[in-house]
Amino acid sequence: MMTIPTTRKPSILGGVTLIALAAVILMPLLLPSVTLATEILIFALAALACNLLLGYTGLLSFGQGIFFGIGAYSSALVMIHWQFSLFGALTVAMTCGGAIAALVGALAIRRTGIYFVMLTLAFSQMVYFLAYTLSDWTGGDNGLLDVPRPPVSLGGMTLLDLTDSRAFYGFVAILFMLIFIGARRVIHSPFGTTLVAIRENENRASAVGYDTRHFKLLAFTLSGVVTGLAGALYAMMLNFAPLSNIELMMSENILIMTIIGGSGSLLGSLLGAGSIIMLGDLLSEIWPRWMLLLGVALIFVVLFMRGGLWGGIEALIERWKERKAHQQPSAAAAREEAGQ
Amino acid sequence: MNTITPISNSTTVQSGEAILSTQGLVLAYGAFRAVDGVDLQIRQGTVHTVIGPNGAGKTSLFHCLTGERRPSAGRILFGGHDVTRSSAHGRVGIGMARSFQITSLFQNLSVRENLRLASQGRDGHRALTFWRAEESKRCHLDQADEVLERLQLTARAGVPAGDLSHGQQRVLEVGMALCGRPKLLLLDEPTSGMGIDDIPIMTNLIAELGKELTVMLIEHNMGIVMSISDRITVMHQGRILVEGTPEQVRSDDRVRAAYLGECA
Repeated sequence: MMTIPTTRKPSILGGVTLIALAAVILMPLLLPSVTLATEILIFALAALACNLLLGYTGLLSFGQGIFFGIGAYSSALVMIHWQFSLFGALTVAMTCGGAIAALVGALAIRRTGIYFVMLTLAFSQMVYFLAYTLSDWTGGDNGLLDVPRPPVSLGGMTLLDLTDSRAFYGFVAILFMLIFIGARRVIHSPFGTTLVAIRENENRASAVGYDTRHFKLLAFTLSGVVTGLAGALYAMMLNFAPLSNIELMMSENILIMTIIGGSGSLLGSLLGAGSIIMLGDLLSEIWPRWMLLLGVALIFVVLFMRGGLWGGIEALIERWKERKAHQQPSAAAAREEAGQ
Repeated sequence: MNTITPISNSTTVQSGEAILSTQGLVLAYGAFRAVDGVDLQIRQGTVHTVIGPNGAGKTSLFHCLTGERRPSAGRILFGGHDVTRSSAHGRVGIGMARSFQITSLFQNLSVRENLRLASQGRDGHRALTFWRAEESKRCHLDQADEVLERLQLTARAGVPAGDLSHGQQRVLEVGMALCGRPKLLLLDEPTSGMGIDDIPIMTNLIAELGKELTVMLIEHNMGIVMSISDRITVMHQGRILVEGTPEQVRSDDRVRAAYLGECA
């Protein structure tokens, strides 16, 4: 019992990353449509970014919809008006998402707890009405139509056309895996471990020398970059940037996916996005009020499964391992007895 | 922003000189002055205890020194630098570290991770690197292991800090402060809530630390105060009543009247 546990961490390419990779490969094969799989990955990106704030830093932000919507609008506008290439548009989306997140973050983290949450809520409402009012740019209620989906190109040479939904899935899947691996690196970096320290005990974190505001601000910015990317991909997927992208409802959805999947675990974000989008896809045809079930699911998770779906799965695996460990010595003993 | 410039080696305080001093320090809550014009000198290499009856202003003074509260007036100098207005986290980088009266740990993280995070805290903004593995900074792990050894908690390294006994948590609390490699250690009632059996561990630790660095502490337990302190400052109603060696303080009539009389 008294052995010194080595804090060996699995490499960022092993373990959880392999499970994510398997899911990304299997999803288009098992799900009814590739577009559904694409949507899941896009929202998994948004949930991943939300998780960095909620699960790792302990910040409940209602601002995620802002960054998502900004990503969608900014990439769509530069593609429509200035014929930006795919990577150009995605870069714009990430830059704008990150910049707006830094701005919102800089103001919101001046307060903690409920006041922080209220500030993000206020920003969310404000930006929504801004998008609604600037209908010349955003299309207002009608949304921004005819968003292109440019091909993957390098120096004017087209490498891969993305109009086919399978090709687009492949592209989103590669981005997702890159961000997933990147997120694991961030979480196991000095920065990421400090975020957990801030979540656990902010006073103590600042007493040992961390300027917690700077850490929160960087977490916000990174979260905004990834959420902006997700928003841009979503607009490309739909060929359309609806006003609902930037609504408070979008922030809520992203938060719910994060919490149901399991805040504090990256696979949880994929699981959360996957289960909610699939649930919506399955149930919305049968029962238009399916969102009611989402409420029930959220209540259940918050009350009984604090680690979310992924936490539940982990607990099951743990229990199974324990049982196996119990059985093995007794089996060995039985064999020994039989031998005698 | 960090307004403190690092101390260069040439200005390192000589033994015996004041490493920390306050000048006319005041902390007022409205009309009430919890700290009322304190001139405190903490000399390099000493264990310096601040005592006083309840409400004497010890904790308020401590809060000013750690940066938790901004003094209403006066100055705080540390190693020749004015730290009066610098932030709590900013003081760590120049060599001040603190422990909390009410245990304040990262409860769900392992003991080792608690100490590693505390070591990493000294990096300040350099800890913002998010593209490198945490293991890339081997020195923080080594530092954590070194402190673990010193606290005799090596066997408990992987246990969540919240699962330690209260006494061990108090020791870890001091260990966290040690990880910042401080020049001055500020301890707020290090033995508070500790069982009688655990107290010697803490007093030995403090006495040992006192040989290497400067320790300033607030303490209630008179036995401990008298045995480990080089100097004692007695506070009463926000002011310094007496300062001196344990013997001087013990035999001072004013102290008896204000404080010791209560307990005796």
